[in-house]
Formats: sequence, structure tokens, C-alpha cells
Amino acid sequence: MKARFDNVYVLDVMSDDHPGIVAAVTTAVESLGGNIDACSQTVLGGYFTLIMIVSTPEPVDPAVLAEQVRQAGASNSPFQVMARHANATPRATPTDPCDRFVITAFGKDQPGIVRRFSQYLAGRDINIVDLYGDRSGDEFVLIGQLEVPTRWDIGMLQTDLEQMGEELGFTVKLQHENVFVATNQLRLSYSH
Amino acid sequence: MLRTDEILSTIEMLHAEHLDVRAVTLALNVEDCAAPSVDHVCRKLRNKIVSRARRLVETCNRVGAKYGIPVVNKRLAISPASTILAGHGHAAAVQVARTLDAAAAECGVDFVGGFTALVHKGISSADAVVMDSLPEVLSQTKQVCASVNVASRKAGINMDAIHRMGHVLLKIAEATADQQGFGCAKLVIFANIPEDNPFMAGAYMGAGEPEATINIGVSGPGVVCSALKRRLAREKNLTLGDLAEEIKITSFRVTRVGELIGREVAAELGVAFGIVDLSLAPTPMVGDSVGEILKTLGIARIGAPGSTAAVAMLNDAVKKGGLFASSSVGGLSGAFIPVSEDAALADAVGQGHLVLEKLEAMTSVCSVGLDMIAIPGDTPAETIAAIIADEMAIGVINDKTTAVRLIPVPGAKAGDRVDFGGLFGATPVMEIRNAGASDAFVHFGGRIPAPLQSLGN
Repeated sequence: MKARFDNVYVLDVMSDDHPGIVAAVTTAVESLGGNIDACSQTVLGGYFTLIMIVSTPEPVDPAVLAEQVRQAGASNSPFQVMARHANATPRATPTDPCDRFVITAFGKDQPGIVRRFSQYLAGRDINIVDLYGDRSGDEFVLIGQLEVPTRWDIGMLQTDLEQMGEELGFTVKLQHENVFVATNQLRLSYSH
Repeated sequence: MLRTDEILSTIEMLHAEHLDVRAVTLALNVEDCAAPSVDHVCRKLRNKIVSRARRLVETCNRVGAKYGIPVVNKRLAISPASTILAGHGHAAAVQVARTLDAAAAECGVDFVGGFTALVHKGISSADAVVMDSLPEVLSQTKQVCASVNVASRKAGINMDAIHRMGHVLLKIAEATADQQGFGCAKLVIFANIPEDNPFMAGAYMGAGEPEATINIGVSGPGVVCSALKRRLAREKNLTLGDLAEEIKITSFRVTRVGELIGREVAAELGVAFGIVDLSLAPTPMVGDSVGEILKTLGIARIGAPGSTAAVAMLNDAVKKGGLFASSSVGGLSGAFIPVSEDAALADAVGQGHLVLEKLEAMTSVCSVGLDMIAIPGDTPAETIAAIIADEMAIGVINDKTTAVRLIPVPGAKAGDRVDFGGLFGATPVMEIRNAGASDAFVHFGGRIPAPLQSLGN
């Protein structure tokens, strides 16, 4: 992503989910002359959240940008908005070479599941690039897409995670992402 | 970025439905092991196999673990033994087979295929040595598998070879009488033998293949059966077209997994990747059965009218899904119906629902033939030959691979139950109707000429 204008902001909006949120937010951004350079939204449990990279030709106070968007919300469903200057490089690129893996965990729901697994991963410099969790009945499913430094022995990580899963009554698997790519996508993104 | 539903559906297939890679077979050209002295042949053979295959098992296990998919069987296939036995005799053949057996054990693989003779147009001296040594070879080795190609679209059907194999089968059965004739389970008699088949007992390294290659056999029928059951539980008013589509999608995904693993194993071993074989190969495990798929498709008794059509639909859908998934499809690539290795088929034989003639009809629309069928030990060699000839005719006329793996069980009669153990399973001995009524036909000998289909140029 390369921003259209030099003044770049990250904008975060949360609201009850209903039709018209994106239209309202983008109208407010456009009223400041802003351009949307990237955006992603998700809806979870009836709540809407949106993250955008916005750039403007002239500098704008992030507080003004946030207020402009806040004003666009309906009174019975207000927007919670945050805006700040975006850095040129949003996060440090991992210095170690990494490989993409997927962790999946299934089991009886209890507090602390996500914490236990994420603490283990954080302790090994494993970056979570996408996370999904859902409670259905008493069952909880956790899926994480991970960047695993290649210095780790995958067999050891698998054994650790499976052991942790066993202690929590969870079935845990750590698998290279290419098996999911191979079984789902028509055009293979990895090379043979 | 992968979507959550994609990850969840793959996880369901991998873990709930026990997706695996059924066979990784390293095929090796061993023609350069030929030498004037048999000791020299065996030394070269052992050194070549061990140096090329010693890392196969460990590599398959490591790559399988990385993707969370077990590789069930690791195997070797070599150039036809007849190519290194030219100029040698019976004793040399047995010594070579023992060397292969020991080399396979040293590498930790479960079978080595390629004790093979290609005799569809005629029998050379070396082919005769291979064929006639089979009773000793298959009774004195554990891991050596043999195959004999007796017919092809281009050459027709070599009835002399078939007649000879009828007698050889009975001798193998006698030589392994203490194991209920089990030696015959390690021998496949083919029409149009594929040069890149990863499945045993018929795997061998064909003449047009590279120095070494990895061929893959994909997961078994359990995954397809589970996918069908899940779809049927979720939706009403499904047609056979919908079910064929479900099989096709499952086959696509299963094939992709096979190729992913195969290419990585090949790259790690520094050998060429060959093919993915789409065949659904059942095991005696409950649920891992082609027969169970037929039941799921609504055939209450396997062998009932409709069985052939159901197998045809299954076979075709598997091919369509697999062919789109990979540009390297080969081997047998169909649905296997090996009776003793498929609990539902063996049960249908026991119940009297499935007879030899219906099995033969089903093999005309699927892979691979009359497979793992126990027959009475007193079946005449000519009748066995005639059964083989019928199956070969299906292959030659329909331009497909067909094969026969019959086990005459010494001392057993129709209805007796035999258990070969492990992946070979158990089955009732099948009734052979009209035994002894084909002798004159078989005794004519010679070669049934190549059919019209051979003149395709």
C-alpha cells in the first residue's frame, strides 16, 4: 500500500452493526479532502469495526479527523473513533526468516485459552497475523495464522502445543499453511 | 490470507475424516545393476537401493508431520527384474529377490515392487526365469512384490503366458500353504500395466521413466465416504449429480494434498516428482471402504443391480476432480475393489450378494480388476487362466489397465473364511462357477490378436 497523499493517518471506527456505516465514515473523510488508501472491516457478535489508512493533501489534526467521523454517526448508534498519524512502516518487519503456519485448537470452552496459546507463541517470537475464535455451545474453536521463525524445530513446537492442549482438554494442531492453500485455492501461491 | 471457513473445512477433512497419503513410492532404475556374476548383481543392487532410499522413510515422516498428514506406506519400485536377470538362471532370480528383500528391510520400507516380467507379446528367457521363480521368490521373501503383464492393447492377449501363470499361481499357493496361499497376494497379473503405479503389489519402474522418481498414492475412500455422508446429512433432495460433484471436490482436495507431499519429498531426496495416482485404495479398517461408498450412494447390498453404475460414477468423479487438481496424474487412477482389503466387499461376498461375475462387470468401469479374491485351492489352472483371460479382455478392448490378484487357498472350499492379516484383510473364499469348463479354450494357446483399437495411428 502506498498512500496517495503525504499526510497519512490510521482511522479506527467501532459501532453497532447496521447499514450505512461505511457510507457515513467515507463521506466524513472525503469532506476533509481525504483519500482512502486501504481499509478492512469485520463484524463480530453484532459489532462492527473498521480500520482505514487515510491520506490528505494538507495536514489535518487527527483529533479533527476523529471528530468529523464521530459526527457522522447516528445519535442512537454512536461511533467510537480513534485516529492517529500513521508511521511510514507500520510495524517492524520480522528480522528472522519466517514460514507461515496455522494453529487450530478445539475443545471445551474455559477462560484463559487464547492467553495460554498466545503467551506460548509470543515467548518464541511467533507473530499472529490473523486470529479467529468462536464459542458454539460449550465448544471453543481457535484458529491462528502465524509467522514462525525458521530457527524453530516444528516438531518441538507441535509437541509443546499438543501437550498444552492436552492439559486444557483441547485438540491442537500446528500445520504449514500450504496444506490449506493446496486444498482450497485453485491457483497455488507456493511454488513446487 | 486464508479464510476461516477454508481452514475449518480442511481441518475437518484432515482430522475428522483421517485424510492421509496412502503411499509414497520411490521408483528406481536398476538396469545398470546388470552384471555377469549374480553376486556382483546383488552387490550393486543393494548398494544402489540403500544409497538412494535410505532417507525415504525419515523424509516422508518429517514432511508428513509438517503438514499434519501421515504418510502411511513408504515403498520402493525397481525396473523389471527380468532386465537384470538376462543370462542368469533360477537360482540367481531367488538370490536377487532375497537381496531386494534385505535392502527393503534395511531402508525400512514395507514393500519393494518390480519382480516383474513383461510378456504381453512373448516370453523371453529372462521373463521365463522370473515367472518360474515366483513360487520360491514369493514364499522365501517377505517384502518383494511381483507383477506380470500378459496383455496389452497393442499386442493382444498372450494366452500362453496366461496359461503358464495359472499353473504358477497354484504353485505359489502350495509354496505358501502354511499362510493360506498368501504368496499370491504379492503378485498381480496385468493388462496394460502402468509404468508409474505407486500401489503394491503392482508397482514397478517403467522403461520410459527417469533414473529415480517419486510417485504418490492419495488417501483412501474413507474421506470420500465421510464427505458424502456429511452432505447427505446436511441437505435433502440431493441428486446423483450433486453427489458426483461432492466426490469431485473431495478428490480435488485429496489430490492436492498428495501432490504437495510428493513434490516436497521428491525435492528433499533430490529426485524427480513423477505422478499422483488418484486411486481410492481401501483398507480393511471400518469406514475406509469403496463398498461403504456404494452403500452411501444407495446400493443396500453390494453386488445388487446398480452397483456397476455407482462404481462408474464414483470412478469418473474421482478422475475429474483429480485431473483438475494436478497436471501430473498417472498410475492406475481409479477406484479399487480388492475384496479382502475392503470390509464391506468381503461382507457382501460372505452374504452371497457379490459374486465373481458381478465383480468382473464392476471392474470394466473402474480400476483395477479382480483383486484380492480368495478362490478354492482345487480350482484347475486352466480355469484360473480363463478368469485371467476374461479380465485381460476387458482391459485390452476398453484400452485400460486391468489386473488379477487371485489367491487359490490350499485345502479351502467356497465359503471358508481366510484371514491374511493387516492391510490384506480377511474374506470368504469365493465360489468359482463352471470350474473346468474352459480347458479346451485355454489349451488352444497362442495369442489373441490385438484388437481394432490397436490401430489408432
